[in-house]
Amino acid sequence: MSATTSEATGIEAAGGRRFAALLPFLALLAIGLVIPFVGNEYWVLIATRIAIYWVLISGLNLVVGYAGQLAIGYVALFTLGAYTTSVLAAGNATPPVPAFAALGIAGLAGAVFGVVVGLPALRLRTFYFAISTLGFATIVTQIALAWQDVTGGGIGLPGPTLPEPFDTVTGLLYLCLAFAAFSTWITANIARSRFGRALVAVRDADVAAEATGISKPRLLVLVFILAGALAAVAGGLFASLQTYITPDAFTFELSLLFFIAVLIGGRGSILGPLLGTIILTVLPEIAAPLAAWSTFLYAALLLVIVLAMPGGIAALLDFRNRKPLPPGRAIAPRPDAVRTLVAHRATPDILSLRGIVLSFGGVRAIDGLDLEVRPGQIHGLIGPNGSGKTTTLNVISGYYRPETGSMMLGGHTLAAGRTTDRAAHGIARTFQTPRLIGEASVLENVMIGGTIEGRATFLEALLSLPRHRREERVMEQRARLALAAVGLDGVTEVRADRLQHSELRFMEIARALMQRPAFLLLDEPAAGLSAEEIRRLAALIRAVSAGGTGVLLVEHHADLIFDICDHVTVLNLGRILAAGTPGEIRVHKEVVSAYLGA
Amino acid sequence: MTEGSAAGAHADKELLAVHALEAGYGKIGVLHGVTLRVAAGEVVALLGPNGAGKTTLLRTLSGLLPRTAGEVRFDGRDMRDAGPREAARAGLVHVVEGHRVFTQISVNDNLLLAGYDLPRGERAARVDEALSFFPEIAAKRLDRGGALSGGQQQMLAVAQGLVRRPRLLMLDEPSAGLSPVLVDRVLDVVTRLRAQGTAVLLVEQLIDKALAVSDRVYALAQGQVVLSASAAETDLHHRLERAYFGA
Amino acid sequence: MLASILASGLAVGAVYALIGITYNTMFATSRVMSFTAGQLGMLGGVFGSLFILKLGLPSILGLLLMLAACALIGVMTEIVAVRPVLKSLEQHLYVLTTLAVALLIQQFTAIQWGTEPQPFPRLFAIGSGVWDEKYWLPVVICAVTIIGLEYLYRRTLVGRAFVAIAEDNFAARALGLPERNLRIASYALAGAIGGLAGFAGGQLLLAFFANGPLLNFYGFIPVALGGLGNNRGAVIGGLALGLFQQAANFWVGGIFSSVAVFTLFIIVLLAAPQGLFGAAASRRV
Repeated sequence: MSATTSEATGIEAAGGRRFAALLPFLALLAIGLVIPFVGNEYWVLIATRIAIYWVLISGLNLVVGYAGQLAIGYVALFTLGAYTTSVLAAGNATPPVPAFAALGIAGLAGAVFGVVVGLPALRLRTFYFAISTLGFATIVTQIALAWQDVTGGGIGLPGPTLPEPFDTVTGLLYLCLAFAAFSTWITANIARSRFGRALVAVRDADVAAEATGISKPRLLVLVFILAGALAAVAGGLFASLQTYITPDAFTFELSLLFFIAVLIGGRGSILGPLLGTIILTVLPEIAAPLAAWSTFLYAALLLVIVLAMPGGIAALLDFRNRKPLPPGRAIAPRPDAVRTLVAHRATPDILSLRGIVLSFGGVRAIDGLDLEVRPGQIHGLIGPNGSGKTTTLNVISGYYRPETGSMMLGGHTLAAGRTTDRAAHGIARTFQTPRLIGEASVLENVMIGGTIEGRATFLEALLSLPRHRREERVMEQRARLALAAVGLDGVTEVRADRLQHSELRFMEIARALMQRPAFLLLDEPAAGLSAEEIRRLAALIRAVSAGGTGVLLVEHHADLIFDICDHVTVLNLGRILAAGTPGEIRVHKEVVSAYLGA
Repeated sequence: MTEGSAAGAHADKELLAVHALEAGYGKIGVLHGVTLRVAAGEVVALLGPNGAGKTTLLRTLSGLLPRTAGEVRFDGRDMRDAGPREAARAGLVHVVEGHRVFTQISVNDNLLLAGYDLPRGERAARVDEALSFFPEIAAKRLDRGGALSGGQQQMLAVAQGLVRRPRLLMLDEPSAGLSPVLVDRVLDVVTRLRAQGTAVLLVEQLIDKALAVSDRVYALAQGQVVLSASAAETDLHHRLERAYFGA
Repeated sequence: MLASILASGLAVGAVYALIGITYNTMFATSRVMSFTAGQLGMLGGVFGSLFILKLGLPSILGLLLMLAACALIGVMTEIVAVRPVLKSLEQHLYVLTTLAVALLIQQFTAIQWGTEPQPFPRLFAIGSGVWDEKYWLPVVICAVTIIGLEYLYRRTLVGRAFVAIAEDNFAARALGLPERNLRIASYALAGAIGGLAGFAGGQLLLAFFANGPLLNFYGFIPVALGGLGNNRGAVIGGLALGLFQQAANFWVGGIFSSVAVFTLFIIVLLAAPQGLFGAAASRRV
């Protein structure tokens, strides 16, 4: 009873918060709209520039702030958009194209090249990717300089002239504000959707993201398309603001302004980077002597932010997460909620491993392992260090590819080494060290578990269409239920990295339960828990298996294993030393001596 | 044991005193109030199931990991701010698990590096001294560390520890991955060290072998000392079993 | 024609190789790829021009002062941008902190030194045509640097300590090596090598504040080709890149040569992310 009322109030409160969250954006838009009436033309130009930059930065924010990809060379796409629009409108290479059509084509070109620039990110990490975007930025400028018959080389070419009523200073401002408002809306929609949560998951916990079925390449390509298109459109608008463009206008410093605006704003926020954009654009204008030092100041600001205030402006504005959490809070799982959550996913299938062999550098970590996990059963996997327990879990969930052997789930073969298709097979897991998305709320962490069930497309999420909204509501309700089941419903809105270690363990289980798994793999769930918490964990695991889910439990706490398992397999040196009921294992001579090391 | 009396002579002088030590990795607490002591010249075995915190304990003692609470005194000195370098200088030397020698440089250089802080003129003599314990790797002193077998690498790792002439040598699972003959070979060194008056804190999985070379035993489970006994005590196996699996 | 491609290709290639070694030297003790590598190269040129041409100091004194100044900047990088984020290496904050420091250096230079390229002095005035000093000097300096580094790594205890830390930082610390001091020393060394790169190539690249990002990119390619931390790979990769770039420059013209270099870079990275001579990636779970 109480659960449903608390859910209802929770959702209402969320609605109220959403409106409150909208206010700053509306206020900024209002300021932008009244500037022509209160300020001079100079300020109108600056407001226009902010709006244009924000069109690009809102997309870059998804790439840098959400997906964590260090794209430092986005000026390349901005340049591309500016030149594409101008060249098409001027008719240097083709018959002249109307300005808005040219802008649209530039957006398409930006989408394509956004993927080209982003492609390396699918395989390369951080510094490599940063350098490759830097290289791309260098090259675009060089091409603009050298391809003289089209771009006008160093002399440049006129920007597109927009039709009435956008050919005036004020008209252009309003047009750019409209673009800025639209890009705020769509990027916020993505950020709040399962795509946005998955981006953050890929950034902070890529291994866990794979286990919930998130495919990083597809996700990133979609975001690169969006960010590329926005960047190129921003470039086109910039060209018409400048009225005349040369390669000098597109310096690497501009690229850094874009990048640093996101970081100063704070990762995983929309409002923060928007404020960052405004500050970085306005700062050199109001302090004219600073203009020469502006990039120096940006860099100093970046250093200070990273070292002293990693959360950026967004963290300063995040009042909710600065309230201290109640001390001495207990985790009180509710096994009945578990049953409602997992019951309907029960399956008669058996998860079976046959003859698995895996070596690391000549050492056989798993040496011909056969294992069967049955639905509704708690199967314990124990053994000394290096006996291959966790390695077995990693083979099942696809992180390691065995040399020989097969894995079956019911009648289906589990393809070796395919991490992202396990969730679709109904296999969920937790990790030895909890893989949390520290900057997301506990609720969002758990909702990650429902990602692959989402049917609404990226486009539907972008425009917040009904099917998407419906799905989001269902997901949120289920995530709240999962949190109630593990006993964390008191901290749903809290940023996950503020939780204690034991709470994180239960949060990971909630994320796995969110998948309503047929099989649940638990890797040392009791490590670091108190005796009382272990008792509650035991009750929770029992409830999960009672709902028909098969549990494979790797654990060092012998008492927990003997207490709750239906079946225990003992590994030693990658082989099965013994298997049987806890009662049999407990008195098994070789097991006892393997454990004691005699 | 004939050396027993020699070791007994300074056994009452406390060398390492650990009190209510807590440590872990990030938010995860591993040690929950460990208290133990090692006297000068004695060999103490540290046993326990995996995940009990033995490796964490050694790493905290040698300053590789920060402590969260508690106290460590070595030879009367508070080791609060001591990193691994200071610990090694004080004579508390840690040979980490998994024979992590440097594979790119020669055996000789591996040992010279262990004596990095020693006066230049003394290094060569110390290296020879350490190698005298292991004639089988002395013959390979110009080979790269990577060319040694696993057992030889373990010997090299122990020899690296010996270059410092430790007063307390902490060995983390020196037998892991070694054949029985080599295990005896490595543990034999423990006996020789004991005869010289060097104290040893030995983490081992092979209980019987560890007990054979030790004076005393501590057992760790879930980050706490659950048993402290003399190595000579009968019925030790049953007591360990009870300590690990619960009554 | 071929001779001039060879001469200029080997010359710029040697500069790229030295920047690559700068990256590697910092990486070895800290696992950090620093954006300051290119800026050190830029500073080598600027300091050389400043000390020798502007202040009129003797070449050798100018060289020594440049080395000292760049070593100092290397140490500063370690203190400001690397040490504070070492604990969170996983989050790759170092990309941001070193980028910030690199920008600070670049902008400070722009304001104090000016934004126009300025000439770099001829030091020996030996040779002309393809045997001009500006072509052979980088190659000679690169060779001398490599011989010096080989001596350091093979013959001295400090050098072997670098090798040890690069291979297994944890074991090195456990052994009681003064890891922090060695890291600072390696950053000083990297600073000097980076400065030397810019000094060697000063007559080709001039003393220009904006050389940093360019050197960052072209100096990183040899590292990517040769594999992180592999100096021999960096030298081969650097010379190959220089020759390829100059040949492309000659045959297909400026823009397309940079497009060709970039495309090649991306293809190699995607096909062999560990570099052509690199080791396999570590485990994730």
